[in-house]
Amino acid sequence: MALSGLVVFAAGVTVDKPTGFLGALATAAEDFIKVFNKGGTVLLSLMGGILPTLIVLLTAVNALVRLIGPEKIENLGKAAARPGIQWYPVRYMILPFVSVFMLTNPMAYTMGRFLPERLKPAFYDSAVSFVHPILGIFPHANPGELFVYVGIATGIQQLGYGLGDLAVRYLLVGLVVIFIRGIVTEAITAKMMSRAEKAA
Amino acid sequence: MDALTNLIVKVGRSVGGVVGTLYQAGRDTVDTVIRNVIPFMAFISFIIGLILTTGIGDWIAKGLKGSASSLGGLLLISIVCAIPILSPLLGPGAVIAQIVGTLLGVEIGKGNIPAQYSLPALFAINPQVGCDFIPVGLALGEAEPETVEIGVPAVLFSRVITGPLSVVIAYFASFGLYSAAK
Repeated sequence: MALSGLVVFAAGVTVDKPTGFLGALATAAEDFIKVFNKGGTVLLSLMGGILPTLIVLLTAVNALVRLIGPEKIENLGKAAARPGIQWYPVRYMILPFVSVFMLTNPMAYTMGRFLPERLKPAFYDSAVSFVHPILGIFPHANPGELFVYVGIATGIQQLGYGLGDLAVRYLLVGLVVIFIRGIVTEAITAKMMSRAEKAA
Repeated sequence: MDALTNLIVKVGRSVGGVVGTLYQAGRDTVDTVIRNVIPFMAFISFIIGLILTTGIGDWIAKGLKGSASSLGGLLLISIVCAIPILSPLLGPGAVIAQIVGTLLGVEIGKGNIPAQYSLPALFAINPQVGCDFIPVGLALGEAEPETVEIGVPAVLFSRVITGPLSVVIAYFASFGLYSAAK
């Protein structure tokens, strides 16, 4: 570490441990800088570990999204607005997944404009709940909030396990959860809307 | 001759387009990484350094170990995060979720929390996702003001149910996750 060279007193291993008032100060100074040395080591491992992969992956997916063209998913938004039980999975699983993947956080919520008013809160709830479960495999969707996943994933990595299992399960459970969330929020919204109409 | 020139122009233009797109994608990526990702890494590194070198880590470990390594404890965390008054306060930038996630990651790495709890924990720390952003998110979807008025409490109430539920689903989905390695 180049940084530890800056801390002159850290190198003095052979001398007696300083005592008294000055000694206490010296120990305090060492403990103080230790926090940042450790933090620096962690930062370096993060920058050397996940950052290069992340940059390449982000570039590739960003290019892919640009080449496909985000406006291509508009038809899907129109399909999701259709009534009927068979469109629920489209509205609360496929559409949130595709819009978060293609438009990323926060532009994914603009897909709500294709839905009728009573379905908009449910779609928002569903889409916003997916901006983290997608991070394990497609971090381009929400790089600013990466550490919701990476924070825990780092612990798994330290144990020496692969992250694939966790990332895939996080994504799949996320899909199930946003589906349920969409249905529950849609029901609550419907109830509240009818109550508001009665009051008016 | 004209046809050949046209072909060359066409090929040149589309290749240029693809290369330009790739280059722009790289530029956007580096922009995001410098503006959003690295600052958070710096901040998280400081917190991890603080946890690992001071006694704070042991103190947090004691607090988290009980709650984060059982289904009941994780449910408790998710219920607290889903309280309709708290959830919009905990939401902004997912900062709280990211810090708690990092703390849990440190404890998982040390072996204080079993690795298979990583999956339910990811959901337990996050029932408040986007709760601060509901009016803006709905406005992006071109919702009427009346919809926003009803949509905000609807989403908040929904989280009280679906927040803990997501932890239970994740708990059952975590069977067999990293358990053979023990």
